[in-house]
Amino acid sequence: MTLAWLAFVAWSAVSPGYSSYEKANRLFVAQRFQEAFTAVDEALRLDPKLVPALTLKAKMAMAVNRFDVARQSLEQALAVDPRAQYAEFLYGMEAFLTNEMQQALPRFRKARELNPADARAALYLGLTCESLGQTDEALTLYREAARLERVAGKPQSDTLLPGARLLLLLGRLEESEGWSRQALALDPKSRDAQFELARVLLRRGQAGQAAAAGEEALRLAGGTVTDAQIHYLLIRAWQQDGKAERAEHHAQALRALEAR
Amino acid sequence: MLAGVLLGGVALAAPPIRFEEAAAQAGLKFTLRNAAAGGFHQIELTGGGVAVIDYNNDGCADVFFANGAAIPSLKKTGPEFSNRLFRNNCDLTFTDVTAEAGLAGEGYSMAVAAGDFDNDGFADLFVTGVKGNTLYRNLGNGKFADVTAKAGVGAGKVWSVSAGWVDYDNDGWLDLFVSNYVVWDAAKEPRCGSPERQFYCHPNAYQGLPGQLLHNNRDGTFTDVTERAGIGRHIGKGMGVAFADVDGDGLTDIFVANDSVRSFLFHNQGDGTFQEIGLEAGVALREDGYAIAGMGADLRDFDNDGKPDLLISGIINDAFQLFRNPGGGKPFEDYGQRTGLLMGTRQLTGWSLGMFDFDNDGWKDLFFGLSHLAELDRYLGRASALANRVFRNLDGKRLVDVSAEAGSDFQIAAMHRGVAFADFDNDGRVDAVVSVLNGPAKLFRNVTATDAHWLAVRLRGVRSNRMGLGAKIQVHLADGRDLYNQATTAVGYASSSEALVRFGLGQSSAAEWVEVTWPGGEKQRVAGVEGNRIVEIRQ
Repeated sequence: MTLAWLAFVAWSAVSPGYSSYEKANRLFVAQRFQEAFTAVDEALRLDPKLVPALTLKAKMAMAVNRFDVARQSLEQALAVDPRAQYAEFLYGMEAFLTNEMQQALPRFRKARELNPADARAALYLGLTCESLGQTDEALTLYREAARLERVAGKPQSDTLLPGARLLLLLGRLEESEGWSRQALALDPKSRDAQFELARVLLRRGQAGQAAAAGEEALRLAGGTVTDAQIHYLLIRAWQQDGKAERAEHHAQALRALEAR
Repeated sequence: MLAGVLLGGVALAAPPIRFEEAAAQAGLKFTLRNAAAGGFHQIELTGGGVAVIDYNNDGCADVFFANGAAIPSLKKTGPEFSNRLFRNNCDLTFTDVTAEAGLAGEGYSMAVAAGDFDNDGFADLFVTGVKGNTLYRNLGNGKFADVTAKAGVGAGKVWSVSAGWVDYDNDGWLDLFVSNYVVWDAAKEPRCGSPERQFYCHPNAYQGLPGQLLHNNRDGTFTDVTERAGIGRHIGKGMGVAFADVDGDGLTDIFVANDSVRSFLFHNQGDGTFQEIGLEAGVALREDGYAIAGMGADLRDFDNDGKPDLLISGIINDAFQLFRNPGGGKPFEDYGQRTGLLMGTRQLTGWSLGMFDFDNDGWKDLFFGLSHLAELDRYLGRASALANRVFRNLDGKRLVDVSAEAGSDFQIAAMHRGVAFADFDNDGRVDAVVSVLNGPAKLFRNVTATDAHWLAVRLRGVRSNRMGLGAKIQVHLADGRDLYNQATTAVGYASSSEALVRFGLGQSSAAEWVEVTWPGGEKQRVAGVEGNRIVEIRQ
């Protein structure tokens, strides 16, 4: 925090573009993207080497799928300050989101080196490792991300879910269920956590409980799990629970979604 | 733990499944050309179908390769694009007989399906392509005639990736199912990737298509019954097709592996219509509800319980899918994780595949033709070319990747695509022929050092279709074991395997009896069948 504050003081003291950057940041948070782009461009016109502005521009560019712009901005930022940890993390994200996993790997590793306490960097490095088939390292990093968040006093439900999913794939069902339940305890309204719990319960042969968890997931909003995914789970859960009519209801609901 | 130790013991004790690559010395010289030239046309990714067909009925498996064409003309502008037929000289050498057979073809060919549609005793060929499919009738004199127009199977002019012969109405005549992919036009190819780094578009960038069902009118013509049969309203992005009677009702059902949209299982209702039950059967999607990039498929009994199970390949991070059919009207069970296939294939991209008993121990093993998408190297940081994989089936419970022991030839990476299976040297061990994108095709001769016995059944349908496709066969051994398989040439992706139905008998030198359930349910039992031979069963 002290370092960040010092950086803030340093940038605001010396950069003519800083106030425009701050304005751009406010506009971005308010989701007024066009105005935010204009403001950040103004900040960079006034100070082309303003690292926070370059980083914000990259973040905004990624939000609208302009990964080429993001990459350029981040490379400029890192040329100015190779130790800019958030820029390095976003540089990794740029590669991750464009499926360039081999490039994402060293960027996230560097972001971790620059700030070992950054749970996000650990989490995304884990996801990258998993997609490259490095499951042991991925699992270690998922554990580390969760630990870092606990230490920081900000445990997040979503951080636990990749670990729950990977453990399920590995057939470590009891552990997977534990992770899903922890995620749900942190955010009882998490659709994704409810879905993961339903998946592992179904795999453990507890079809009735899986169906209940799945139905609850369907009632919850948000998250990344789609209605179609939940309906598919519920078809199988209700089938295994001997409730063919309920299963068929979800099959029809899924087909209705497909027909849209 | 104990089971693991015991299964491990089995794995160690069994002779390794081994292959030697013999294409060049056998004279099987073919290179699949996709005409890729930096345009990133979607059609470049697919194709590569291979068929096994004993076109001259000499008892030796011949090979047909489908080939590409120039883009955007979709014309075979030179001999490098010719489809090829190779006659097996019955000594594991092959002679290119394309010209005399009249099979060089036209257009950008994709897949091939072998089947005797006119019941004249000579297997015919249906070749799919981009904006044009072709039916070749085997004239029985070494020549084939293009009967597409006469047969009425050329309509549609879409991009068809796979096809298969199936007698869906059990009338004794093979019908045709065609798996169509997406709407595609070279002039309207979307551009994907980053501005400085173009790449092939995701299938989401293209509109999907329904499959097509063509009913055999028994007079050399076909009627398109796609709509009437209820197939036409299911829009997918069809790749591999597989056929089997999944619910034991005597009617052959149809599975279509779709690319990035959910797969279809068309349940045959026996009245000329099908109901799509992929969701209810639990085979439409991956366990987490994700639509994998389905590629190849095979419906075959993996665990010797008499019910066909389902194997599907996908692309990297999909994991290949194995679904066990428990029977009794219950949905399929996801067997990928518990057999070890899921994590063992998560980093692979598979095209064609097949479930065959390569070591004749009585359990069908898995063979996958592999390669990542072309040009994916730079995203993966490693080569797109992959070595193929073979998984040994341990008592229908576990699958062990035994590729590393399969011989040095098997370790060589390439852009593998189509795979077809047959015993090319008639030694009782199942071999595989594999097409390679822009590289020489491979003939993997099975040289597994096993003394296990085998049996192959050649069916001769009379009331059923002459090849007996759709027939189910049960082999009962003296030690009480029962083995199951069915007659189909629709195996894997874009490819067509031999029509013979093979069994590994293990240490049993004979079958106490062999029972054929012909399409329609008629049963025929033959007692005391000696092993290590091909037996012909006539209806």
